[in-house]
Amino acid sequence: MENATEYGDARECLQAARVSMRQVKRLLAQPSVDTADESAALLRDVEVQLGCVAAILRQSAPKPDAGMRQGIEELQSEVAVLAAFFAGADKMLSGWLDAVRSRRGGYTERGQSAPLMLVGKLSVEG
Amino acid sequence: MGSLFSALDSASQSLQAFERAMDVTQNDVTNANSPGYANQVPELISQDFQTDTGVNAGGVQELTQDTRSSYADTAVQQQLSLQGMYQQLQTSLAPLQNVFDVSSSSPIPSALNQLFQSFSQWSTDPGNSNYQSAVMDAAQATAQAINQSAVQLSQIQTSTNQDIQSTVTEINQDAAQIQTYNEQIAQNPTPDAGLSAQLENTLENLSGLANIQVVSGIGGQVTVLLGGQTALVEGNQVNAIQAVNDTASNAGNPGAAPTISIEDSNGNDITSQVTSGSLAGLLSVSNTLLPSLIGGGQQVGGLNTLAQGLADSVNNLLEQGTTSTTPPYAAGTALFTYNAAVPAGIAGSFAVSSTITGSQLAAGSPGPPYSVNGTALTLAGLDSTAAGPVDGQGFTQYFGSLTSAVGYAASNASTEATAQSQLVAQAQSLQQQVQGVSLDQEAIQLVQFQSSYQAASKVVTVIDDTLQTLMTMIPT
Repeated sequence: MENATEYGDARECLQAARVSMRQVKRLLAQPSVDTADESAALLRDVEVQLGCVAAILRQSAPKPDAGMRQGIEELQSEVAVLAAFFAGADKMLSGWLDAVRSRRGGYTERGQSAPLMLVGKLSVEG
Repeated sequence: MGSLFSALDSASQSLQAFERAMDVTQNDVTNANSPGYANQVPELISQDFQTDTGVNAGGVQELTQDTRSSYADTAVQQQLSLQGMYQQLQTSLAPLQNVFDVSSSSPIPSALNQLFQSFSQWSTDPGNSNYQSAVMDAAQATAQAINQSAVQLSQIQTSTNQDIQSTVTEINQDAAQIQTYNEQIAQNPTPDAGLSAQLENTLENLSGLANIQVVSGIGGQVTVLLGGQTALVEGNQVNAIQAVNDTASNAGNPGAAPTISIEDSNGNDITSQVTSGSLAGLLSVSNTLLPSLIGGGQQVGGLNTLAQGLADSVNNLLEQGTTSTTPPYAAGTALFTYNAAVPAGIAGSFAVSSTITGSQLAAGSPGPPYSVNGTALTLAGLDSTAAGPVDGQGFTQYFGSLTSAVGYAASNASTEATAQSQLVAQAQSLQQQVQGVSLDQEAIQLVQFQSSYQAASKVVTVIDDTLQTLMTMIPT
């Protein structure tokens, strides 16, 4: 129990990071551009919260703490899933965009999908 | 009068077009929750007014457009294929994790621990018959644990191969179903949203089984290619695949299971084209992971290497040892036996020699100088010697490396399966979101997603680094 007092703040930061991570998972289950942006913001919160854990631990002389290690390991597993998800999503979206590019603008002389030109409509008067 | 009839006819056609448009809307509402259904958009096109004949004068013509995006469908199929593979790996690796359990209570590490403890105890009083019996019992338990693991791995191999056969059957059934849909489309070229949904549903199921590429042809018929190369369905033709034992793969490696090959309808080996889907997961377990553990193809297998290493090391020491206390020193007897003629079956044939008794265990070392318990002491430390007897590792450590390989594969499969489930949901959601939108809108949406995810991905990398730092900061 002595560790609980000693690392109280660090544990709170870790707990906050886990709560944010849970929110990220929930948001990614309802994909939309808004939820994607919100997830990115929440992940930056997680980064700050973990930075807080590191700062507190640096100031103290950490002792073995199975609970905290387990919490960090669980976060590591969740981060591994997220990393795999973002890597897969990037691959999927890149492939999809390539298909749209080639449909929209054909191919370059090198056989690559033509760059996408998304120009807004202009209305010229007078 | 002709122009009056033309005008009436035109008005009637217009009304029918609007009625069909209403039907399409009703159809969309009714099928909103049907799997694979894509909205249809009634497109009303004004027709040219023909001043000379009056035919089709003005009015509207209705064309039904399927809002399905072929890219979205492809993205969903690709994600389903990857999900199928990782989920299959996760399922197939679960029983392997039971055999290669990390806990010290699992049969092989526990038996090895007992064996080396019994050697240690015996070294304190080599003539003690209770200690000799304890060594014999521990050796028996070790042999049983290794045999049992070999049997379990063999059962997993059999079950995996059965799963490969049933998956291939399911792939062929889906291909036949798609061919039936192609026939129906050919007979009735009018777009049928219900049929299109059924076709899409079957294609998605097939995607979970293997990596396919779908090419839409004239009128909506599809060609389905396995691995982008082998035609499974071409119009009205199905080219069934089959799973066969590659009997040449294990030549010269008695006891090893042959690898499984997938062949096209002409008997060509197309195994390398199967890169995702549950079939790829099963092939990976059957042709790569299991042979590395129990032997297969040209591999002897880690469990057989462990069993042989243990038997050879213990037997060599005992045979160099002696049961005599004074010269001439009688050579000791081997404790373990195995069938050396079947390298990939060593773990299965590993046993305690039927000819040895406890009193024949050679505890002494003839030296010089002679030591009454020299051999027993060496045996007691055998598992922890610096240059280990199995691939430079001790037996427990070597078993740990096998466990670690299985555990890593299982953990990776679990991570990827979870991520893939999210990616399938992502692809399906995007599929819905881009229905009926222009290519530009579709591209804008994709770019927005991509930039948000790329930003998030960079933060994830930083978080991962921070977590690793934190782990090093908290002592174990």
